[in-house]
This record gives sequence, C-alpha cells and structure tokens, in this order.
Amino acid sequence: MRDMYLIAMNELRVTMRNPFWSVSGLFQPVIYLLLFGPLLNGVAAARSFPGESAIQFFAPGLLVMNALFSAGFEGFTLRDKLDSGFLERLRVTPISRLALALGFILQTAVNLVIQSVALIVCSFFFGLRLDAIGALALIILVVLIGITMSSVSYRLALVIREGGILAGIINTFVLPAMILSGIMLPVSFGPPIIQLMAKLDPFFYAVEAARSLINGALTDSSIFIAFAIFVTLSAVTLAVFIRGMREAVA
Amino acid sequence: MAPSIIHTEKLSKRFAGPKKEIVEAVRAIDLDVAKGEIFGLLGPNGAGKTTTMRMLCTLLLPSSGRATVAGFDLASAAGEIRRHIGYVGQKGGMEQVATGRENLMLHAQLYRLGRSEAARRVAELEERLNLQAFIDRKAETYSGGQRRILDLASGVINAPELLFLDEPTTGLDPQSRARVWDEVRKVHDQGTTIFLTTHYLEEADALCDRVAIVDQGRLVALGSPAELKKQIAGDIVTLGYDDEAQAKAAAQLLDGNPVVLERHVTGALVQVYVDHGDEALPNLLRIVGQAHQPAKSVHLSRPSLDDVFLKLTGRSLRETESGPG
Repeated sequence: MRDMYLIAMNELRVTMRNPFWSVSGLFQPVIYLLLFGPLLNGVAAARSFPGESAIQFFAPGLLVMNALFSAGFEGFTLRDKLDSGFLERLRVTPISRLALALGFILQTAVNLVIQSVALIVCSFFFGLRLDAIGALALIILVVLIGITMSSVSYRLALVIREGGILAGIINTFVLPAMILSGIMLPVSFGPPIIQLMAKLDPFFYAVEAARSLINGALTDSSIFIAFAIFVTLSAVTLAVFIRGMREAVA
Repeated sequence: MAPSIIHTEKLSKRFAGPKKEIVEAVRAIDLDVAKGEIFGLLGPNGAGKTTTMRMLCTLLLPSSGRATVAGFDLASAAGEIRRHIGYVGQKGGMEQVATGRENLMLHAQLYRLGRSEAARRVAELEERLNLQAFIDRKAETYSGGQRRILDLASGVINAPELLFLDEPTTGLDPQSRARVWDEVRKVHDQGTTIFLTTHYLEEADALCDRVAIVDQGRLVALGSPAELKKQIAGDIVTLGYDDEAQAKAAAQLLDGNPVVLERHVTGALVQVYVDHGDEALPNLLRIVGQAHQPAKSVHLSRPSLDDVFLKLTGRSLRETESGPG
C-alpha cells in the first residue's frame, strides 16, 4: 500500500512540475468547450435534439471524452519510464509488481479527478446546471473509465516499443469509440447502422449515464448499465495490466 | 578465498533473434565472486556481459543453469536478493524532472525506510559521495559525471552487500571517469562487493581485483589483471605497415623463426610475441628489412589486457569497440 502511494505521489509530483501540465492536460477539452460548445448551440435549437441545451448535452460527454483521451494516452508515460530505465531501476527494489502497477493507476485516477473538477467548474461559466450527488457519481464513473483506458494503454506500452505505433493503435480505438458514443452529436441524428454500432460502444452507455447523472435523473437505467459495464471492464483490464507488469521483461 | 557472494553454474540465456533464430547470449558461465572483491566482466559490446548481469540482478530469467546471489537462490528467492543488492543500469533510471534528493528519497522509502530514516540516509550519502553541489537541482541539469554519481548513490541507498554496475563510465570524459572510479572505490572501502561490466581495458585494469573476459557469451579467461597479463609470455613487438597485405607478407617472413612465440595481424599491424623484446627487436627488424618489407613503425610493449583478449579470441578489443553497439 505504501509503495503504491509512493509511486503515485512521485508520478503526480513529476506531472505537476511540468509547467504545462494543467494546460496540456486540459487543453483539448477546454478548446471543445470554447469552440465546439457554441457551435452546438445552433444544433440544439433543432427540434429533434435530445438535450435541453447544448451545454447540458455536451459537458457530461466532455468529462467522458477527457477520461478516454487523457487516460488512453497514459501509456506514453510508461513508455518513457521504460526507455529511461526508471522502471528497470524500480524493478530491482523490493517493491511488488502489484504496487508498481497500482501506483501508476492511482496516479491516473487522481489526475482525472482533478481534471474533471476543473472541467465542471469551467462548464459553470457556460451555464451548466448540475445535481451534486449525480456529479459525484459521475466522477466515480469517470475514474472507472480512466482505470479501464489507462490499464489498456499501459499494457500496450509494455509490449510496443515504438511510440508512433502505440499512438496509431490507441487512436484507432479511441477515435471511433468517441464519435460513436454520441459525445459530440446525438447518435439519434445518424442512420440506423450508426445507431446500431453505437449500441456496441461501451462509451455510448457511459455518455448516456453521464447526462442522466448531471441532470439529476439518478434512477435512470442507463446509469446502472454504465456502472455495470465499467466496473467489469476496469476489473478485467486492470487484472490484465497487473499480469503484464508481473511478466514484463522490458 | 573469502566465501562466494555470487556463484553461478552453467548460467545461460537464449533469446529468439529477429529472424526467429536462437541467439545464445550467455553460454554456460561458471563464476565465483568472493565477498569484498571488485570483480569485472570485460568484453566487447554484445559479448553477453549485460545479459549476465541482468540475470544476476533478477531482471532477466536464465534459460538454464543456476546461481546464488548474496546467499540466496536466484530461481526461488528473487525478492530476498533484491533486498541485498544494489544495481545501477546503463541508463541510470533517475527521474529527470525530480531533484537528486527527491529521487534518492523515493528509492530509500521503497527499501522500507521511514521518512526521517530515509532523509538521514540521503544526507549521509550526500556527505560521503560529495553530492552537495548538485543534489537539490533537477537531475536533467546534471553533467554526465554528476548523473553517474547520483546513479551510484541510488545504487547504495539500501547499503547493499553487493553492488552491480553496468558500464559505469561509458561515454564519460576521462576526468569524470576518474571521479566515478574514486567514488566506486569509496563504496568498496565501506565493505561492499562490486560486480561491474565494462568494455574499457583501463577500467578493468585500474579498478578490478579480478576480471573475467567474456566473448560471444563464453567466459574465456579469469584472473587478476596481473595474472591474465602474465599468461602472455614476454613482450610484444608491433610492426606497422601501410596496409594489411604488406603486414601479412611481413608476418609470413617471421614464421618459423625461433624467437617468435606467436604472431597476429590486425589491420596493417603485425604483433609478434617474443620472450625478450629488447633483444628480439633488432633481429626482427633485420629479417623484414632484408626481405624488402621494412616496417614503417615499430613499438615494443608489455602485454595489456587487450593483448590477452587478442590472444584468446584472435580479435582486438579496441577494434570491436568501434563496431555496432
């Protein structure tokens, strides 16, 4: 436990020491909020638009998107640690592989909580109204998504040495997953085939749940579905990552 | 000899190569390192030095063979071994955006020291290894030498019985190298056994009590630098020519001469091993001169570890140094 905490604190300190940390981490979602949000206002006027306003529709999805991308690309951090010999140096200390793996995951989770709170605060200025309990539950959902994405990303980084290939693989999954989840535009606008594909995208359910949570519809079935999916996915991917860490030779 | 702190029996490592062929990186190495020694694995790049060290440090599983390190079995007690050894890899592995002190604190705490104990241990090393000038700066601002000293400090943070150093001075200028050697000797004086790899002859000669020469995964010689050099009888006369063809022609002229114990041609140089260099030299020069193959340059030397390597493998260590990594 203490080892896990030490690793996470070290990683967080290193992350925050980067002067661009807050900027680089939040740059993408804030740009979406600033530029895409107002664009969506026009679309929200359409009669078939499912949300009550653009910000109420877009902000919850933005939190999911942030988890998708920021945790999804965490593998690069691990790649750097492998290349610099940092991880090798840790592997000859008595630290368990479990604590090492969980330390990295804990760092991702803490990072995501901070970013999510920052994004919610930003969204207030664009007129977001939220349910407090729902928002707390949403942050938990975001952390589960983050654990899933970073576990997959870290596991890939253990076997893929080439940064470019790693980025390519992650993008191949993250981009369609994001578009089909209906974060940007309602999936109901699309043809039946898109709607069907969206039903296969776990992030579609996460976004649905995120909107219900922000709006305070706390008994909506989408919330239970999303939590069931991401509790399972995060447990499975985390187990796979921990096993990978135990076997890692790099 | 003092009891062994490292003992290996037929330690081997095979990898799958890029074309799925089997690469024998380390072939059945038997080694005994005594407590208190500075022991060096000397060999060209790719000889299997680092692979051997990584197996002994629990970073790589052997394909076959056995080893005990610091009294524990490598196959069954990796965790115990980790507690008793220190390791400094070629890349060091310090967090570059953290300060030296932060790095050392992290590692001290990973060895189960409490915060104040850890701080005390770091302060102790700061003093002993003279880290004061740079310990509170970020590691990314360090010179190559400072970086290696910090790596070294992290390697001894747990006061290990046995410290592994993988190519501790590769890429350093002579001055920084001398500083690292000094600090390594200090660590050794505290009672730590040191096992290092190097492809620098000078390093093996200057630092090591005993040296194992490895080539292509095999152990080809073992002994103190002085003993190894003694294996080479007498002196070495080196005759220089314009090119390899001339050197080969000259070397043939010397075959069968009773004073010539052995000879090698490397590039445009002919190296002749003789019992009494001072007496043999005029004789050798006369032979090649009479055959109209006069040497362009001539050099008489006592044997070095490079000559030992050359004699054992037919190749020069200096030559292989510049080859692909």
